[in-house]
Amino acid sequence: MAVTPKSKTSGSRVLGIETSCDETSVAILDYAVRGTKNEVRLSHHETATQIPIHRRYGGVVPEVAARTHIAEVIKLLERAGVFASGKPKFDAIAVTKGPGLATALRVGIEAARTLAYITDSTLIGVNHLEGHLASAWLVPQNRARWEFPVLVLLVSGGHSELVLMKDFCRYQVVGRTRDDASGEAFDKTAKLMGLSYPGGPILSKYATRGNPDAFRLPRPMIHDPSLDMSFSGLKTAVRILIHELGPRTQDVLPDLCASIQAAIVDVLTSKTARAIAAYKPKCLAVVGGVSANPHLQKELRKVASEFPDLIMLEPPKGFYTDNAAMIAAAGSWHLARGKSDSISKLDAAPELDL
Amino acid sequence: MTRVNKSAAGNGRRATITIGNVIRRSDVPDVAAWEGFADEVKTLIGPGNILAISGELGAGKTTFIQALSKVLGIKKHTLSPTFSLMRSYRLPRTYQGIKRIIHVDAYRFAAERELVVLDLDEEMADGSSVLVVEWPEKIPNWLSRHASKTVRIHID
Ligand SMILES: Nc1ncnc2c1ncn2[C@@H]1O[C@H](COP(=O)(O)OP(=O)(O)OP(=O)(O)O)[C@@H](O)[C@H]1O
Ligand SMILES: [Mg+2]
Repeated sequence: MAVTPKSKTSGSRVLGIETSCDETSVAILDYAVRGTKNEVRLSHHETATQIPIHRRYGGVVPEVAARTHIAEVIKLLERAGVFASGKPKFDAIAVTKGPGLATALRVGIEAARTLAYITDSTLIGVNHLEGHLASAWLVPQNRARWEFPVLVLLVSGGHSELVLMKDFCRYQVVGRTRDDASGEAFDKTAKLMGLSYPGGPILSKYATRGNPDAFRLPRPMIHDPSLDMSFSGLKTAVRILIHELGPRTQDVLPDLCASIQAAIVDVLTSKTARAIAAYKPKCLAVVGGVSANPHLQKELRKVASEFPDLIMLEPPKGFYTDNAAMIAAAGSWHLARGKSDSISKLDAAPELDL
Repeated sequence: MTRVNKSAAGNGRRATITIGNVIRRSDVPDVAAWEGFADEVKTLIGPGNILAISGELGAGKTTFIQALSKVLGIKKHTLSPTFSLMRSYRLPRTYQGIKRIIHVDAYRFAAERELVVLDLDEEMADGSSVLVVEWPEKIPNWLSRHASKTVRIHID
């Protein structure tokens, strides 16, 4: 049976706002219970990626616009119809409160506080990482099969964590990287090979044509009994390899990429397997930017198939990178549990943990 | 990226500290040796100081900062701030007036003005923080304004 948050009301509408680092994003999520069926519908979702900001502003970056999200968030809220006449009504406004940059987080938080005050809505501060966990729940097939505990592998440019979700709003980080995140390992080894930024996706494209066993790269901490991971050593290993290969590097690029990808994915999958054995979750999910990697998806499915009772959830297609839909989804979990924040007190929590 | 430094490629590192025109070199043969070096560095810093840590990709900048955090008693594990851009860590006990380490990584900055989002002057206004910066070459102007408070460490 599908598990969904208990809700007092039969329907709710949540506005989600995300401004924690590079992305500005706004979403409107409608959650309704019809008979025994629950429906989650994203009626609006838009993200403005800020990375190529110098390009977006035609080479001139206005001081205040650089990564500050202010112009972006107002534009996105406007396009979501939030300022339209006839006072929009939200049951809740969910906003990322951390972790992230204080200045970036505050842009979203101030917008959310103001809107919550004007529209008399419930304000909910959401942990960005909890948002990523909720991205798996946004996939309809996953909601239909969702059963706690859920083990989530959260992999992105800034994160590599194994999180055990015991219930909605109840999390335990059981493993994490001790240095670089896995997405960072992809991007930085790609940089060492001269691939353009962000190199991770380019690396994985080359890898499809290469032999993953061509070069033996280290898999640090893979035999360590803890669920922690380490990726910073790959930079040194790849640097040495490139040094040895010299001009041949370009000829063996697909093999090199496939070998790097295999090393990263191996660490992620073996730690995930260890975590499944230790915590016996009912479901396994993978979320975050790196969860879009097809090789990782394939290898995780293999791992999951070794545990006959484990349900492998689908990767959150459309919600891999930072977005407000996942923040709204996590907000709906809080709302269903009667959890909210004070409009006068909600502030950025840059160092927030799960 | 054409020149590959043999020492940065694997077998140990060398760290060069520059304060004003005083230069000091140390050999750091392995990862564990960073703690001894960090013990030395911690005696050189006080609140308001900036540690600019340079060195190529994978040189060991974050590894050194992990060792420095450890010798300052910080329990939380220091992670690479490349994507988060900035992280801060409180010292469990004030050391020489230092209450907090702010760890910044400018690697992803395409232009120095992106620094505004970190609001560093405001972060440092508490008068009890030390700022540690990876990829300081990305923010030369800001650093030159704080040159008198800056300790440079280069790893190769
Ligand atoms: N003294 C040393 N001897 C040998 N290996 C070292 C030494 N110091 C660091 N290393 C290794 O080199 C790698 C350095 O990675 P680290 O992430 O610290 O580099 P970085 O300079 O911060 O890189 P980035 O430019 O990506 O920020 C790690 O794998 C670490 O174990
Ligand atoms: Mg680093």
